[in-house]
Amino acid sequence: MSQTTLDQAAQATPPRAARRIKGLSDRAIAWIFVGPTIFLLLAINIFPLIWTINLSFTNFKANRANRAVEYIGFRNYERILTDSDIWLSMQATAHFLFWTIFFQVLIGFTLAWLINKKFKGNDLWTTIIVLPMMLSPAVVGNFWTFLYQPQIGLFNYVVAFFTGADPSSFEMLGSVNLAPWSIVIVDTWMWTPFVMLICLAGLRSIPDYIYEAAEIDRASKLRQFFTITIPMVLPFLMLAVLFRGIENFKMFDLVVQLTGGGPGSVTELASINLKREAFEKWRTGYSSAFAIILFVTVFGLASIYVKALNKVKER
Amino acid sequence: MSAHSITEPSSRQKWVAGTLVILYALITITPLIWILMTGFKTPPDSISYPPKVVFTPSLEGYVNLFTTRTRVSPEALAALPPPANFAEEIVRNRNMVIAGPSKFGERFMNSVIIGFGSTFLSIFLGTLAAYAFSRFKIPLADDLLFFILSTRMMPPIAVAIPIFLMYRNLGLSDTHLGMILLYTAVNISLAVWLLKGFIDEIPREYEEAALIDGYTRFQAFYKVVLPQAATGIASTAIFCLIFAWNEYAFAVLLTSGTAQTAPPFIPTIIGVGGLDWPAVAAGATIFLLPVMIFTILLRKHLLRGITFGAVRK
Amino acid sequence: MSGFFSGLVRLRRGSWEMVATVLIGLGVVMLMQPFVLWAFTYSFITTLVGTVMFIIVSHFPE
Repeated sequence: MSQTTLDQAAQATPPRAARRIKGLSDRAIAWIFVGPTIFLLLAINIFPLIWTINLSFTNFKANRANRAVEYIGFRNYERILTDSDIWLSMQATAHFLFWTIFFQVLIGFTLAWLINKKFKGNDLWTTIIVLPMMLSPAVVGNFWTFLYQPQIGLFNYVVAFFTGADPSSFEMLGSVNLAPWSIVIVDTWMWTPFVMLICLAGLRSIPDYIYEAAEIDRASKLRQFFTITIPMVLPFLMLAVLFRGIENFKMFDLVVQLTGGGPGSVTELASINLKREAFEKWRTGYSSAFAIILFVTVFGLASIYVKALNKVKER
Repeated sequence: MSAHSITEPSSRQKWVAGTLVILYALITITPLIWILMTGFKTPPDSISYPPKVVFTPSLEGYVNLFTTRTRVSPEALAALPPPANFAEEIVRNRNMVIAGPSKFGERFMNSVIIGFGSTFLSIFLGTLAAYAFSRFKIPLADDLLFFILSTRMMPPIAVAIPIFLMYRNLGLSDTHLGMILLYTAVNISLAVWLLKGFIDEIPREYEEAALIDGYTRFQAFYKVVLPQAATGIASTAIFCLIFAWNEYAFAVLLTSGTAQTAPPFIPTIIGVGGLDWPAVAAGATIFLLPVMIFTILLRKHLLRGITFGAVRK
Repeated sequence: MSGFFSGLVRLRRGSWEMVATVLIGLGVVMLMQPFVLWAFTYSFITTLVGTVMFIIVSHFPE
């Protein structure tokens, strides 16, 4: 491998001139290479962010661009942080976050643990399980509304088949009690494989000799599970939980297609509420402040995530 | 008993584990199979009770997906020349004629153009940046890397407000270029992080040898490092492509016509008198199938991409 | 535990990052809890302080 690379390098070397022309200095190349990326991110991420911060102190409305813009200080923040509607949408987000993470960790870890038994054909089945998370949440979410149809939907039919209830007697998406759970079900279906894959990586990072040593010490299987398996997988699990937490905190596409925030506003998660404020009510200043609140929260969680990521990478 | 290893699970354990995993896999794949099946049903079959598992396949969903149709009176229908192809025949059975192509093809092509365009751009810029971060001393490199990663974590709706205003002023809203730049900005963080991991693993000695041979840094980069990183670049590209392919929030807020991609379009497919589920399912099938195939082909490289490079193998 | 406090006094990264992490976590919980409105009201400032602190202390020596 290295031999062939060196050979290629030798052959491709221009005779003579090369030694003289060393080209640009490393420092210049570093900036030429990093520059465009930084520029693009500044233009499309940081500049808009600063603009959002600026807008969040105004009463600007994007559909009335000609109206004089007034700076109103922290008024938008005050109103959002005392608004019970927004508080309710945060609680809806919390319900969604808590239960999706709960089920995904439970099912994801169990699956990873089972797959790690290395039964024949586990590769193929792992790939099949992974399929849902690679697909477009909007398109899949839209199709799930079909599966959730009261009379004709497959989901209702299957549930009715096993419980004996009438398949048209419950509306997963239309009922105030069931809708928050119907989005949890689809998100769990979609993202359990993510937690599973990370747990699997964690399980596979545990060297065999640790178990062998425990076996020699006559530690029971149960004991091994709690003193070796769980602690060794925990950093990976933390990573999965944080990542899913951040992703679901800003959840938009899947739930918009499934329920659109309804019925009423029981599944109106933070991002959906924000979209309504910004692009339907056109309260641009107000929704900018809301966006900053969401952004700071995500940014805080992301810092913790990167710290956890570096910890796992060091292993 | 344990001729091989004491940590190897017994065959009975394997059998139980295998059964449970296969059971889960079958349940989890049912909705996807249902999409595939619904695409080949007729509209009445698709909404029958109980749901039909056995049915006569029909291409009506696909025909409806690609065409727009108008209803005509039976007399006018009888006066028409015999149907020229199978599509017309299917449509005429419903007392309708094909009025023209639907927008699906166009929207699908938008997805292709924007997906490949942004993937190319983010891989191009990302490889350069990743190489620089991997090999050179850049002041505040850790902060810059964190900044790059954090931009990916931003809630799309939160940055959408000023981007919407900015694009409106620059005339970039609902254009391919605007969407390509936007998706590149989102994807580049993943690209830099993943590619930096791949390039870190290429021994520096290769380039140093080339530099001693009189290569410039630039030559060393594209003649020595790039070929070594090819696999990593390819799998990163697939991840960028899948992200751009699946993206919905920006697409629905910033595009409505010429540059609209398929994800915001597919849910809006409606037939005559209620949602045309076979057509929706047909659109979903065409749209999702390439990703499924990529996933199956790429399963070995999957892990690293979805964990921001936390897991390497 | 005493290592944690001496880390705080000597401006070490680990201990201070822990404080910032706890603040961010607390802010997130306050933001989404369904019990008291004032906790929701002060959640943002808590998260903000935690996040800014995290950025600053990540430059402290290990």
